[in-house]
Amino acid sequence: MIKVSINGKITELEDNLNIKQMINILDYKTESFAVAINTTFVSIEKYGETIIQNGDTIDILAPVQGG
Amino acid sequence: MNSDTWEIGGKTLNSRMLIGSALYPSPANMEDAIKISGSQIVTVALRRQAAGDDTSGDFWNIIKSLGIEVLPNTAGSHSAKEAIATAQMAREVFNTNWIKLEVIGDQYNLQPDPFETVKAAEFLIKEGFEVFPYTTDDLVVAKRLADVGCKIIMPWGSPIGSGKGLMNPDNLKAIRTQFPDLQLIVDAGIGKPSHATQAMELGYDGVLLNSAIALAQDPVKMADSFRLAIDAGRLGYEAGTMQQREFASPSTPTIGTPFWHQFK
Repeated sequence: MIKVSINGKITELEDNLNIKQMINILDYKTESFAVAINTTFVSIEKYGETIIQNGDTIDILAPVQGG
Repeated sequence: MNSDTWEIGGKTLNSRMLIGSALYPSPANMEDAIKISGSQIVTVALRRQAAGDDTSGDFWNIIKSLGIEVLPNTAGSHSAKEAIATAQMAREVFNTNWIKLEVIGDQYNLQPDPFETVKAAEFLIKEGFEVFPYTTDDLVVAKRLADVGCKIIMPWGSPIGSGKGLMNPDNLKAIRTQFPDLQLIVDAGIGKPSHATQAMELGYDGVLLNSAIALAQDPVKMADSFRLAIDAGRLGYEAGTMQQREFASPSTPTIGTPFWHQFK
């Protein structure tokens, strides 16, 4: 198991998960979202090849009101 | 709606109002206010969303149903790196290369960080973004943003959400004078319709506002008021205002004034 921060919350995940697998496990309902790992954007095309590492800080962002 | 058209970010628009989507009493109120404003650009943001929560989807569906341009922001960023990551995420989610670039340098007055803003703008323009940078009314910062390729510059009127209006009209006028070919938008600090009119009378191409409408007692009525105020300011600018004079000058003809030089 590895420990990562997902949207500010420390979470345990299995080893060697890619982003696509992580999203499925987390059961994300929102259709529109984007992902950054350690403040670096990861495009949707790279979800399958990007393996989550121990200690990663993952941000999953969705549309909200803004000024 | 004013028949006047203008171009920004490759789009031809009628309305010169850019409207925010935050702080309204309800989603329905937001939708009504945006519709009556006539605005064709609405600002949105990205935030962390908990798994299992789909309130974001509800909001996004309303915005999409409006059929107007979406301008995502990088609000909350405190460095070029954070702003760049947010912009790239926004491009994927909102399917637009427009980005309202906000890099905050001070938490007290939410003043933009000019150094990080210029750095992020330069990178994002090379990445194909149409950057709408939020900045202060500093002429040199505007120049640096233009130097790195910004076609649009958005100086503040006063700090975000303050409603104080245009703190430094002379500075805003200087930016307008020095950059006649850039699209200039007053962003932030607008509190009343007359503030927006003043910005437009200075020759600014548009006004971006949110709190002034959303925090009004009646946001829908206020959105309508801003629509008229912005159109009035633009028309006034196009008409050309008279020169100020130091002393009074009668407007009624003096020739033929009655009771003049009468014998007593």
